[in-house]
Amino acid sequence: MTNKAGYAFTVLVTVGALSYLLRALPFLLFGGRKEPPQIVRYVGRMLSPAAIAMLVVYCFAGLSVPEIKTPITLLAPYLAGVLTIALQLWKRNPLISILLGTVLYMALVQ
Amino acid sequence: MTTRTMLFKLAFVDSIPVLMGYSTMGFAAGMLLAVQGEIAWAPFWGMVTSAAFESGPLQYLFVDWVRTTLAIGSVLLVTLCVNFRYSLYGLSLIERFQCASRWQKAYLIGTITDETYAIQTSSRLTGKRYVTYCFLLTMLDHFYWIVGVTLGAAVGVLAKDLFSPERMQSFTKGIDFSMTALFLVILTDQVRERPGRIPAVIGFAAALLSCLAFGRANMLIPTVLAILTAFLLLRRWLDD
Repeated sequence: MTNKAGYAFTVLVTVGALSYLLRALPFLLFGGRKEPPQIVRYVGRMLSPAAIAMLVVYCFAGLSVPEIKTPITLLAPYLAGVLTIALQLWKRNPLISILLGTVLYMALVQ
Repeated sequence: MTTRTMLFKLAFVDSIPVLMGYSTMGFAAGMLLAVQGEIAWAPFWGMVTSAAFESGPLQYLFVDWVRTTLAIGSVLLVTLCVNFRYSLYGLSLIERFQCASRWQKAYLIGTITDETYAIQTSSRLTGKRYVTYCFLLTMLDHFYWIVGVTLGAAVGVLAKDLFSPERMQSFTKGIDFSMTALFLVILTDQVRERPGRIPAVIGFAAALLSCLAFGRANMLIPTVLAILTAFLLLRRWLDD
């Protein structure tokens, strides 16, 4: 447990510092109202959707493999994923999409 | 009514949608930390991380990180990719925050989020009043997030005490999908807009290949390298 606490503390400090630095970067670099280089704006614009898509794959790969393998438990992530996306396209309410998607997934794997 | 009270009222009314979102999403992230984070003192860690990161994605990822003790290098790389957009948000706030005092500015900068930024940039107030309004709004949003995460973790710990580990495991089974669902929702909103589509496809393809080639634990660094390479190679066609 102590190891876990030490790890959590390291994450807290390093991620906290990096998050702050990223938010402060434009104020530090461009406080005198200089435009950032074109390439920085380009990568900044492109990076966010790519990073989120990467995390979707990372999360799907991290879902625990069901002990009982039936078509339903194996398809559960995809069915719940489709429901989440469909609800978000239709209702545009993140809370409803996440809640119902998760409830469906939990119902299917249990 | 003093100006300050008036500005507080205005900030509070504007923050109500954020209250709904942050308290519930924070609650779910805190609960996940207590139930699946495999770490003692979950409410404490939930409170300090939510105060320091103020980020939904990072709050959920924190659960995965402490459970698997992912290498710090990968943790920082993910943080960099997920929060890089905040560096661009700041650009349009430099002028607006010019009347803020040093410590007000330090706080306002450290707590930029998608939602707070959206409200701040749509306000029509100016000068000192604008800064005070932003400061109050930011404090409220930050507060909702911290309370949500901490309460969620506390409830999670209580539930763990009340029920046997087996029962707890059986009825919280699958709750980890909430993190996947969060990212699916963000992605859906991003690809709704045309400019988000190609980078999303690049990110998806790079991640899928890296995951198959290197496994989940080692996929993040190669994925980011592949994404950046693709961006630079395709810049001629994608940058307008």
